[in-house]
Amino acid sequence: MGDILEFFQSMGFMNIAWQQAAMLLISFFLLYLAIHKKYEPLLLLPIAFGMLLTNLPGAGMFHSDLWSAFLDENNANYHSYGAIMKEGGLLDILYIGVKAGVYPCLIFVGVGAMTDFGPLIANPKSLLLGAAAQVGIFLTFLGANALGFTEAQAGSIGIIGGADGPTSIFLTSKLAPELLGPIAIAAYSYMALVPVIQPPIMKALTTKSERCIKMKQLRAVSKTEKIIFPVVITTVVALILPDAAPLIGCLMLGNLMKECGVVERLSLTAQNDLMNIVVIFLGLSVGATATASSFLNIQTIMILVMGIIAFSCGTAGGILLAKLMNVFSREKINPLIGSAGVSAVPMAARVSQAVGQEENPGNFLLMHAMGPNVAGVIGSAVAAGILLTMLG
Amino acid sequence: MILAANWSHIWMVTLLGFCMVLVLLVVLIYFLRLFGVIMKPGAKSAKAVDIPRLPESEPVAAPAAGQDDEGTMAAVAMALHLYYHGVHDEEPTKITLKRTDRRYSPWNSKLYGMNNLIR
Repeated sequence: MGDILEFFQSMGFMNIAWQQAAMLLISFFLLYLAIHKKYEPLLLLPIAFGMLLTNLPGAGMFHSDLWSAFLDENNANYHSYGAIMKEGGLLDILYIGVKAGVYPCLIFVGVGAMTDFGPLIANPKSLLLGAAAQVGIFLTFLGANALGFTEAQAGSIGIIGGADGPTSIFLTSKLAPELLGPIAIAAYSYMALVPVIQPPIMKALTTKSERCIKMKQLRAVSKTEKIIFPVVITTVVALILPDAAPLIGCLMLGNLMKECGVVERLSLTAQNDLMNIVVIFLGLSVGATATASSFLNIQTIMILVMGIIAFSCGTAGGILLAKLMNVFSREKINPLIGSAGVSAVPMAARVSQAVGQEENPGNFLLMHAMGPNVAGVIGSAVAAGILLTMLG
Repeated sequence: MILAANWSHIWMVTLLGFCMVLVLLVVLIYFLRLFGVIMKPGAKSAKAVDIPRLPESEPVAAPAAGQDDEGTMAAVAMALHLYYHGVHDEEPTKITLKRTDRRYSPWNSKLYGMNNLIR
């Protein structure tokens, strides 16, 4: 009888706190968004499931106390991966890849292998739009500081404005690991909501005639240019900003593998198998950090609000710079492509195309928008490197 | 809480950070432009091609307006290529009649077919 009683007492149902129950409900909601609404399902699904696993009472899959000790200089287990391996659960072990900054970089290898930088090489001015869209990061950094977050936390919240999931995770795991769960969820949720968030801002900031501007066809880019591009970008960026080297280096490594044409097997692996494996590990372990104590607080709500402000400011920044460039430039730019300067590849570029075609069905902006879009990836990685250098 | 923050440092990070992003990407724009100039088709091979000179007695007609388009240049380049590489596109001028062999089958019978295609 005692054994039966002990068994019942060990059941999760007997030990669940209301906060954990609330977190389970949130994870169910995120699973619904991923599966039914298809909001970034490739990442939201593992994140939501990681959240589900970590909030199951008694399962012991993730121990936030072990990671607190890992960061505490006065603790015997300070920076001890051995203690994590010895005492941690499955998700603790997977989380080592996030903590060491490995997963975001590996994802960038895959992203690079899937990205065509041709539109950017053909129209280098796109880089300016990618830079302007990073204004959201720095404005939100200011706002988050005003709301009482520490500078490191504010930098991590600001990077949501870059609309780049791996970059957000990379920077947050270095600057403010305690906010990783809410920031990753905010970043991926807003990336999924690009078609909802951006069009009203794009329409509010442009006139009908601006939205109808047709752009000149891009020049053809040779294979040699595409091969030299990743080498040049890595060298220049890493020499100027060494902290951006892991992200930019991995992005460009993937791209070089794709463009050089001699390592097709590696390129295909980076695009498919490696990417998929890392996405599963990254999603699960990031979701695991969303424990009740770290997620159910006012900070999370503030992060979600600041995230959408960051994203909106980034969108507006790109559009306004495109309008400014039209004042000085002979060749007119359709300002709608400026909004694609926030990363969110290729969704943001597709939104530019869709909004442009609403005004003029014969206007094809997709390839023009891909330039600022991939420039946004470089820009957000550079911004992350700068914040890491200044706040890390 | 707001007063406790080091606002001079925060403003410095904001302004300097954004300016650095802009400056770095502007530097990259110049690199890419330079890159475009170097890789421009024909830029490197202008000296390498030995263009034969025509006798001075034969004047070269100036191209008429609208003639110097890409199609004309492609045609000229193709003609030069064929001339200098001894390639010609003359047909052998032999006409042959080859009987097409079609075995009978209900599936390819003309009676049942929609089109009389030669296979």
